Amino acid sequence: MTTSSPTLEAVAVRPPEALWRKTVRTFFRQRSAVIGLSIVVLLALVAIFAPLIAPYDPTRVLIGVEDVKRRDPPCIHILGCDSEKPQHILGIDGNVRDVFSRLIYGTRISFTIGFITVAIALIVGSILGSIAGYIGGWTDNIIMRLLDVLLAFPSLILSIAIVSVLGPSLINAMLAIAIVSIPAYARVIRATVLSAKQEEYVHAARTLGLDSGRILFRHILPNAITPLIVQATLGIGAAILETAALSFLGLGAQPPTAEWGSMLSAERNQLFTAPHLVFFPGLAIMLNVLGFNLLGDGLRDALDPRLRNY
Amino acid sequence: MSYLKLRRNAGLALMMALLLPILAACGGSTTPSTSSNAPAATEAPAAQAPAEEATEAPAEGAEAPAEGASETPAGDIGEIPPAGPQGGLSKNGDLLVASVSSCDVDGYAGIFKEIAAIDSHTVQFTLCNIDPAFEAKLAFAAFQIHPSEYIVATGGTGDLIEKPIGTGPWKFESWNRGDSIVLVRNEDYWGEKPAFERLVIRWSTEAAQRLLELQSGNVDGIDNVGTEDIDVVKNDPNLQLLERPALSTFYLGLVNTSGPLQDEKVRQALAMAIDKQRIVDNFYPAGSSVANYFTPCTLDHGCSGEPWYEFNPEAARELLAEAGYPDGFDIDLSYRDVVRGYLPQPSQVAQDIQAQLKDNLNINVNINVMESGAFIDAANAGKLEGMFMLGWGADYPEVTNFLDYHFGASSVSFGTPYEDIVENLRKGASLATFEERDPFYVAANNAIREHVPMIPIAHGGSAVAFAGDVENANTSPLGNERFELMTPGARDTFVWMQNAEPTGFYCADESDGESFRICQRVSESLLSNEVGGTKPVPGLATECTPSEDLLVWTCKLRENVKFHDGSAFDANDVVMSYWNVWDASSPYHVGRTGDFTYFEALWGSFMNAK
Repeated sequence: MTTSSPTLEAVAVRPPEALWRKTVRTFFRQRSAVIGLSIVVLLALVAIFAPLIAPYDPTRVLIGVEDVKRRDPPCIHILGCDSEKPQHILGIDGNVRDVFSRLIYGTRISFTIGFITVAIALIVGSILGSIAGYIGGWTDNIIMRLLDVLLAFPSLILSIAIVSVLGPSLINAMLAIAIVSIPAYARVIRATVLSAKQEEYVHAARTLGLDSGRILFRHILPNAITPLIVQATLGIGAAILETAALSFLGLGAQPPTAEWGSMLSAERNQLFTAPHLVFFPGLAIMLNVLGFNLLGDGLRDALDPRLRNY
Repeated sequence: MSYLKLRRNAGLALMMALLLPILAACGGSTTPSTSSNAPAATEAPAAQAPAEEATEAPAEGAEAPAEGASETPAGDIGEIPPAGPQGGLSKNGDLLVASVSSCDVDGYAGIFKEIAAIDSHTVQFTLCNIDPAFEAKLAFAAFQIHPSEYIVATGGTGDLIEKPIGTGPWKFESWNRGDSIVLVRNEDYWGEKPAFERLVIRWSTEAAQRLLELQSGNVDGIDNVGTEDIDVVKNDPNLQLLERPALSTFYLGLVNTSGPLQDEKVRQALAMAIDKQRIVDNFYPAGSSVANYFTPCTLDHGCSGEPWYEFNPEAARELLAEAGYPDGFDIDLSYRDVVRGYLPQPSQVAQDIQAQLKDNLNINVNINVMESGAFIDAANAGKLEGMFMLGWGADYPEVTNFLDYHFGASSVSFGTPYEDIVENLRKGASLATFEERDPFYVAANNAIREHVPMIPIAHGGSAVAFAGDVENANTSPLGNERFELMTPGARDTFVWMQNAEPTGFYCADESDGESFRICQRVSESLLSNEVGGTKPVPGLATECTPSEDLLVWTCKLRENVKFHDGSAFDANDVVMSYWNVWDASSPYHVGRTGDFTYFEALWGSFMNAK
């Protein structure tokens, strides 16, 4: 389509639709973005259908239930494992639970963490950033300097401090990570609002007598969505990684919750004697974060007109 | 393109320049241990000279008054603090005497009546009651002897806790917090001097890291080999494994002032609902056993009385329903994630107890992992809520060491003490023969079973490992490894890696085995324990003999013994070291926490307690 010489009528009719179509096409042209999307969709399906996929209850201790020993290696019948032994495709953990089932349910936790954390940070960050950008002056200064203070701390250290005050739990870990992520969203939205409020359509709206709230939420914010989508997608990966780190330190998900970081932490001493217990949760974290990062990168390339390659 | 390449290379170079110092700093923590190991010994002297100067400098300063003190035993301790209402310290000529006015003085329930220096090298202990474990207690690390001048000079400050001075085979050089402790050979040691110059203590809570450090030659010995790693060590020709006999108990503490645990039926239900055999089978190494009493059965009176409840989840559910909790309840389970001989896999055991209580009683257990020092302090002070996982390794092989410390009048770990247990233990500890004592321990163990202040779960066997070329490697059921008797090949430094950082070195006010192990290298008690065993043997006293009625013990002290600061060891040091802990009104009765839990638990009570 781009090869045909556009006529005036075509330009007048096609723009809104063509923009999205071009975006989608640009996105799907990038192999890494497609891989990222595939990973995320696959993991989302795993999270949704976890009870159907997982063969065992993730917290069920199998002592006395099946003939398995703690930290048994994977047993897959089609790969030659004795068919009389119960099949555990990723083995048994230190508390005699099925690792595969725990890993599957861990996907749910990771997705929940990623989305809720980013949602909290996105909402609060957008409100603060847009107020700061739109009102400007002292309000802008106060809000942004306070957020700069948050940015001055390494995010993980600040999260640890917040969880230490609130008490270790998955919800507090999510809150902590959301709080430390707020500045990033606020800065993105503020920058967009600052440039958008100089646009002519905003001047026009103001001239027409629309109130500030309407201008901000109806006219400016919809135009700031693009960078937010990119930031949020990348943020999900970062949030999952940070929650795993907090859980590894014992500050996030509490036993017996099947969370990848805490699964890693519980078996960290078995790196040499039962490597499968450390390898698979680590691989799951890596895949999940990689998926969201590739997806985020792809979205950025597709949505940013400066990077668009026609 | 070439410009882009140049920019990229310049960027890479800049990154490397920024990263290298960071990497170097990160590696810094491991460098000293590596360099302090094998070949470094020959290179050490240059770096070592200033360190020796630094440690010897105060010693020379302290030597002047001490030299004089060797002639007149009273030493330079200044004025004797005024006595309290129950008694205090006094002088008999140049000799110190610590005493209570009477054994029956109001509010005093201690064993000591008087501790007196008879001459410069004789100390006499006069007791209010017979104490069959007297010699075993004298050998314990919580009752070590420090120079009286140093106690006076440092009492109330942190020096006694952080820079201990004793008579032991090792002098304290430095405590690099979070990293290591360095001890140097005491060249003036009265006994056989260590064969190597430097003893470095490091720690890691991770069993895998400890083993890796040993395998890679960074350390010469490690504590508590992981359960799964025992076979790895056994099969490695470059390592040697020493199994440590099980003289310890792992228990689940139930705080009787906390929520549903105030009800005895709830505690009894919990006692029936935990399958201890399952825990031992799955999480403990060979040589471990299910605990049916708090005290291991190898000790006299340990297994007197009724054994523990059988595992019976149905009966437990009925009992819990009777107590008004048919649908269970929520409760905290606190522990420290530190591997000990009695608890080789804390996190897995905690999760198994959590799963068992959920399955058997529908109790939701919230797991609360705490920092090691904070956890111990909170447990000793009775500040934990709900349940907690802790254990006990023998300090001396006597039933009083297990029962009196945990269930005596001064113990608040499990909440309010149980009067009937306290009374039976008090009577049992004041009698001399097995036959006289046993009925009281039968009654005490039965009362423990009835009230369930805790649930004894396992007697854990454990193991230590050493590099293959370490000669005379030894271990001890009391956790007192004698590094001074070992020879680490041709190396001049021995590096030991234990589970956790010690909390302090004034061990009268410590209760953690990680601290005791270091204290026993630097300071000494009147008696010691045989190598690899528990039998009391001469230490700073060459002998301690009782009177016929067993109420007066006379200890002859070893002559020509010097403290690390150069001062001479004499009877006044013994009186001063004991009195300072015994008398709660002493201005120097200050430690890391100020609880001095062992003294109160093992010797009855303080004098002039507030």
